[in-house]
Amino acid sequence: MTDPRQRRLSGPVAEAAALLRRGATRREAIAWFAGAGMAAATAGGILTRAGSALADTPKRGGHIRVAGFSSSTADTVDPAKQTLSTDYARCNMFYNGLTTLDGALNPQLALAESIDNDKATVWTIKLRQGVQFHDGKPLTSADVVYSLTRLKDPKVGSSARPLAAQMQDIKATGPNEVQITLGAPNADLPVVLGTFHFLIIKDGTTDFKTAVGTGAFKCKEFTPGVRSVAVRNENYWKPGQPYLDEIEFFGIPDDNARVNALLSGDIQLAGGIDPRSTRQVQAADGFAVFETKSGNYTDLVIRLDDAPTNNADFVMAMKYLQDREQMRTAIFRGYAVLGNDQPVDPTNRFYCADIPQRAFDLDKAKFHFQKSGIGSTAVPVYASSAASSSPDMAVLMQDAAQKIGLTLDIKRVPADGYWSNYWMKQPVGFGNINPRPSADILFSLFFKSDAPWNESGWKNEKFDQLLLAARAETDVAKRKQMYCDMQGLVRDQSGIGIPLFISMLDAHATSLKGLRPIPLGGMMGYNFAENVWLES
Amino acid sequence: MNSLVLRLIATRVAVSLLTLLIVSAIVFGATELLPGDVAQAVLGQGATPDAVTALRQAMHLDQPAWLRYVSWLHGLLTGNPGLSLVNHLPVAGLIGGRLPNSLVLAAITTAFSVPLALAIGITTAVWRGSLYDRIASTLTVSAVSVPEFLVATLAVLIFAVNLHWLPALSSRSGVHGLFGLVRVYAMPVVTLSFVVIAQMARMTRAALVNTLGSSYVEMALLKGARPWRIVLRHALPNALGPIVNAVALSLSFLLGGVIIVETIFNYPGLAKLMVDAVATRDMPLVQSCAMLFCLAYLLLVMLADLAAILSNPRLRYR
Amino acid sequence: MSVPLRATLPPRRFRISVTGAIGLALVVFWLAVTAVGPMLAPYPPGRIVGTDVLGPMTHAFPLGTDYLGRDMLSRILVGGRYTISIAFVATFLACFSACTLALAAAVKGGWVDAVLSRLLDALISIPSLLFGLVVVAALGSSIPILVLTAAVIYMPGAYRTARALAVNVNAMDFVRVAQARGEGAWYVMRAEIMPNMVLPVLTDFGLRFVFVVLLLSGLSFLGLGVQPPDADLGSLVRENLQGLVFGAPAVIMPAAAIASITIGVNLLIDNLPTRRVSRER
Repeated sequence: MTDPRQRRLSGPVAEAAALLRRGATRREAIAWFAGAGMAAATAGGILTRAGSALADTPKRGGHIRVAGFSSSTADTVDPAKQTLSTDYARCNMFYNGLTTLDGALNPQLALAESIDNDKATVWTIKLRQGVQFHDGKPLTSADVVYSLTRLKDPKVGSSARPLAAQMQDIKATGPNEVQITLGAPNADLPVVLGTFHFLIIKDGTTDFKTAVGTGAFKCKEFTPGVRSVAVRNENYWKPGQPYLDEIEFFGIPDDNARVNALLSGDIQLAGGIDPRSTRQVQAADGFAVFETKSGNYTDLVIRLDDAPTNNADFVMAMKYLQDREQMRTAIFRGYAVLGNDQPVDPTNRFYCADIPQRAFDLDKAKFHFQKSGIGSTAVPVYASSAASSSPDMAVLMQDAAQKIGLTLDIKRVPADGYWSNYWMKQPVGFGNINPRPSADILFSLFFKSDAPWNESGWKNEKFDQLLLAARAETDVAKRKQMYCDMQGLVRDQSGIGIPLFISMLDAHATSLKGLRPIPLGGMMGYNFAENVWLES
Repeated sequence: MNSLVLRLIATRVAVSLLTLLIVSAIVFGATELLPGDVAQAVLGQGATPDAVTALRQAMHLDQPAWLRYVSWLHGLLTGNPGLSLVNHLPVAGLIGGRLPNSLVLAAITTAFSVPLALAIGITTAVWRGSLYDRIASTLTVSAVSVPEFLVATLAVLIFAVNLHWLPALSSRSGVHGLFGLVRVYAMPVVTLSFVVIAQMARMTRAALVNTLGSSYVEMALLKGARPWRIVLRHALPNALGPIVNAVALSLSFLLGGVIIVETIFNYPGLAKLMVDAVATRDMPLVQSCAMLFCLAYLLLVMLADLAAILSNPRLRYR
Repeated sequence: MSVPLRATLPPRRFRISVTGAIGLALVVFWLAVTAVGPMLAPYPPGRIVGTDVLGPMTHAFPLGTDYLGRDMLSRILVGGRYTISIAFVATFLACFSACTLALAAAVKGGWVDAVLSRLLDALISIPSLLFGLVVVAALGSSIPILVLTAAVIYMPGAYRTARALAVNVNAMDFVRVAQARGEGAWYVMRAEIMPNMVLPVLTDFGLRFVFVVLLLSGLSFLGLGVQPPDADLGSLVRENLQGLVFGAPAVIMPAAAIASITIGVNLLIDNLPTRRVSRER
């Protein structure tokens, strides 16, 4: 883990050092260190009961049963096609990426031995030696080229395609060396390579009935919609890992059933539990809640490209109608952090704390509502359980809107087909965005004028220019200022209302040790498998 | 009588094939009508227009709908229901893996609930108006009026979480012996019985009470026949039609409609497979599941109709 | 002779038993709730009024608070109206149309029976999940559509029962006699057969009423239901299910409401003073 070469990566320490070298004032540099330290402190603070486990030495052996929150025939062990957290958890057992993201979302080397870059455009990646796939074939550059190129193929149908598209050329420059040329400079490529879809598979793999990777576990059984059984990979390249002998993994879509299965001892880890179930878990002996503060958010989406919602005053009225405090206590039982209508959450290193927090303000909402001229026309608001908790958020907003004379007509629609039929297609609706590892990825995917999922149809030239400039900027202070400006622009001008950042909650038996939050998602950013162990 | 039964079965089988064809066309039409297709469903939130177009091409969804229907039908007739569009596994294998689970659950529930329901129905009809009748009737209605998910969750809380007597999840793997089987199936079977017993018991009671009031029963009564004999020999055969229909409807529910029980107890059966297939717009899988449910239903109602005809002398000799 | 025999004799006209009276009282109570309940609601059903979620019964919140801290009494009063009116109309539609078709099938027999029966077999074979989703997609979500969907889902089952009854009655001597007398099909259906199957048909109605009440929460899951902030009683149970572990009134009360409505309706039906109309009159 303490590979000296990782310093070549843009970790916080490296950046702070660069900051000092470039003649930044000492104060700035200290602030940066403090920021990084604070992130680590919060991460530690979250681990209440599990925290003491960190001091323990991992024990080898044993098997656990784990339940995620979804299960269907669409379950996959093809890294390119993953869509749900259950897929992420599964693929992370069987495969590795070139990098992996740590608790502060900084990239750490995994299958890559070193990563060098020229002007953040041409990236040279040396592969770790002596790594073997589960069938004994050694890892080579051909596997990496195949895995990454595949993501760009439209016929594969990977949702990572927009991210992969920036890799204009991926070629092997030796048996253990790959060169990636980007279309435009991006200092965050190592972060991208550490995300879920960029896991490395064997050259030429087209059949994903089972998973053959380099990961800590071998796939003994995989039946989509039923379960998978993972057994220890004795030849794993990380010495000493994994700790467990076997993991049986399946999905229980019913929230109560998942928690009850844990409390009855049928499973040892339940992924994605409802905040309202925390009381039950905490009251039970031998079980704990594991909270991961993350950038996960459910957002109000107001389309700016069509009447009647292309109305700045209406948008502003709606933003002021979000009673964030009430949502936090009533819906999330406190397991959420206030949002400020922009997508960068406080755990992110580019979070801008200087932007004033928008509060719940009926007077301002009324002022803008009256100015908007919407009048007594009922505004339909589309909500669905697909965008988690959105029906409840809609109800809270409806009640607040009533007080200023605005009628919101909630249309609760099925989760079935929500993303293709309602999301971004209705004037007012809700979306849900999973944590993304960098501000650049968030802004590029969801806010740039030509972003694939520009939820509110917001177009802002200044924002686009800032985004491109920030991507190529290596001066951290300047970069941070740019991201700050972008957060302000989104907060004030886009059609997105982000009331809260929602914590990811898992529940586990206290005999299961080693869980640490990785803000990419619950269950250690879905990478718990090789990191946890059972206390006998 | 035999020829009548044979003729009836022959026509019903022929008509059933036609019904299956119609149902498959309707189900196909419905799947097509639903907004979104398998490409969008697979891509989920990541469905950008160009990604959807590309995936559609790769999945041959750009063929006209009728062509896909005909080729699916052709495959089915030649014994090959095709591959799942979502995970490219053979549909026959996906169903084959779960059908035994569904059949076992349905069989155990039937063996438990049908005799119980009939016993409740017959006894409450015989002792109509008694305290026993009132209590039993109220209890059966109460049982069916509690939502299934509440019964199941409550059972899990009591017997799995608090008492640790039973497992919260009903997995058939690694179950040994009769005791193991009882442990795994106790809660799902009881939950489902809550749902189906009421319909069967109440229809039995109502049909019997109705028949008990008719003139020929009164005649038998006046002739001095014993009450139980009247019920079993005179009233029951005449009341059997609605009763067996209630049983058939309940059993068809047990085969394909037990989604809540499958979800809560994490029991991999056909209902969940069908729900998945609809959610992902996986046409071959939706179709095959629907065909299977339809077939089971048609078989059950045919048996019910046969039983009704054979039991009622007036219908038998018409 | 013994009790059972006396019990099988037709009850006297217009006398109702104690259990029947209890059933009637429950039904009347819930009809009153349907009529005026929402006006009596102490709070708006969508407003968060309590700080405690899934809270206990208190003076301010007689039936506790729900999973967001809303007043359960208000939510049940509003949800009761939806549940009862929707379930009643839908069940009535299903049973009425089923009976009419069943009588026609029994009396006409032959191809009318065959076509009707097989068509409805086909209808029941369409998975209700698929059906519900198609309805939402094609027709959107509104209360009339909800009622019709529920009616269509339960009609074929009601038809099966009614047809089985009608066929049995149709084979009776007095019906044969009436037909031989040259009575028209409509007369035979209405005056000869229907009165002799009314009790089982009503029992079926009572059961289907229960099924529709429970179906509503399933349909609302598909988006085809009562829209927020209101919710039908079944959905109230579902959304507060987390409270079950500590016995929150928010989950017990709506379940009790459903039980009392459905038990009331079925007790009343069981104890209705039936009047048999047939040749032996």
